[in-house]
Amino acid sequence: MQVKDTNKNKRSIGWLALACLVLQLAVAPNLALGNGRINFALIFSAVVALTIGGRTGVFCGFLAGLVFDLSTTGPIGLMALLLTISSFQMGMECRNRLAGEIGPSMILYAIHALLVSLFYHLAMLIVGQASSIFDVIVQRTLPTFLLSVIAFIPFAIFYSRGDGTGLSGRQRGGRPKKGSRYNIGNI
Amino acid sequence: MNGGGLSSSGLHKDTQGNGSRLAVVLVVLSLVMFTMSARESNGGFFTGVRSVYSTITTPVRYVGVVVTAPFQGLGNIFSNLTANQKSLSELKSENAKLKASNVKLKEAEKTSERLEKLLALQSTYKLKSTAARVISGATSSWSDDVTIDKGSTSGLAVGMPVTDSNGAIGQIISCGGTSATVRLLTDENSRVSAMIQSSRAQGILEGSSDGTLKLTLISTDTSVKVGDNVVTSGLGGVFPKGLPIGTVMSVNKSAGALYYDIDVKPLSTTENFEEVLVITSLTEDQQATSEDITSADSQDSSSSSKSSSKSSDSSDSSSSSS
Repeated sequence: MQVKDTNKNKRSIGWLALACLVLQLAVAPNLALGNGRINFALIFSAVVALTIGGRTGVFCGFLAGLVFDLSTTGPIGLMALLLTISSFQMGMECRNRLAGEIGPSMILYAIHALLVSLFYHLAMLIVGQASSIFDVIVQRTLPTFLLSVIAFIPFAIFYSRGDGTGLSGRQRGGRPKKGSRYNIGNI
Repeated sequence: MNGGGLSSSGLHKDTQGNGSRLAVVLVVLSLVMFTMSARESNGGFFTGVRSVYSTITTPVRYVGVVVTAPFQGLGNIFSNLTANQKSLSELKSENAKLKASNVKLKEAEKTSERLEKLLALQSTYKLKSTAARVISGATSSWSDDVTIDKGSTSGLAVGMPVTDSNGAIGQIISCGGTSATVRLLTDENSRVSAMIQSSRAQGILEGSSDGTLKLTLISTDTSVKVGDNVVTSGLGGVFPKGLPIGTVMSVNKSAGALYYDIDVKPLSTTENFEEVLVITSLTEDQQATSEDITSADSQDSSSSSKSSSKSSDSSDSSSSSS
């Protein structure tokens, strides 16, 4: 029987959050493709949602979005809203999706990255920050999506590794939680 | 225990529900914050929180600049490697001209300095300013701004104009204790009063997403050529008058239009920003004179009279055709 170690969870999330915060503040502003930049808040929330999920995932998504909003000049709460919804959806299944299902997890993350980026920039368009939909889609959404997906790969590989006990890759409790309607692994 | 995927990272599955209630609460909270933040003017609660956050995270941004500094020049190296022979020969001839021009300018500068001493004239730009270092670029893909390492403790405040060695580059939009965010002229939300240096035609310089600047409200009555210098007009009292901004890249005149469509190439690019000057106050000489304001007003009135004459022409023609 596996005993859930919540303290270990907290420590792991803390280290991951610190790493993503430093990367968001120090690296993201200096690495750009067009007008797009890596969204490490999205990466953090996705890792937590895919590995832990549930309430923890939702809360981490909200906090990550809030930190992202504080580090930009846009309205506060927009990225928090999007990452809360995204984390909730990604963390619905009662299992660690990154361990053993890295491919489908990457696809799921890519879909969320695209949607979050698109809705964020569309919302900025709606609040009057731009006048061109072309600019929103081509110059901002797509570069941000592409960079965020590329930057997620090392995180996905690291968190998909097993613990050396032979449990890596197995889907423990692999049956989706009751009420969970989305299972990218079965697509 | 179900579903607890154990990995080397130490993350375990949360088995206490899928957090739907918490998600609803946080979504509502986010929407409330978004609405309040969007309606907030400068100096509100969220501005204060952002200012504190900016102050706390300044050291991390420093680290980022230091770590990525060696890679900043990579773009230039690649563009130099791919430069063709034609561009190299053009650059050589331009360099020769600039050297000759530089000798003349140095001589003129000496003469000017002597004349200034003799006539006790003030130098062209006596900027009361504070030097600052750029520590970070834009964090989001949306805004075109930079963060500098000086804030309100150094006497900086929201609205102060910022220049680099080439001329005006932007304006402070938020100011923390030890750092400030500067909205660049190329940001889409940037609006600066500017004028064509040669013809003194005044207009508004706006940023755009492609990094160029658009000079608007320049009447088609005035003369504008490609290569003309664009400088700040001093109207509005924010930027000092006469600071260089860029050069005219293209001038388009649509049939029947009252104003030119002018693209301006900025003198400075974000990649070149290292040290900047924040102008903390303007002297009377640096502000627009009443003559400048009158000139701008007359430019507007001539445009509107032209507009009304055009509309009367069109109504005449429409009535004659009917």
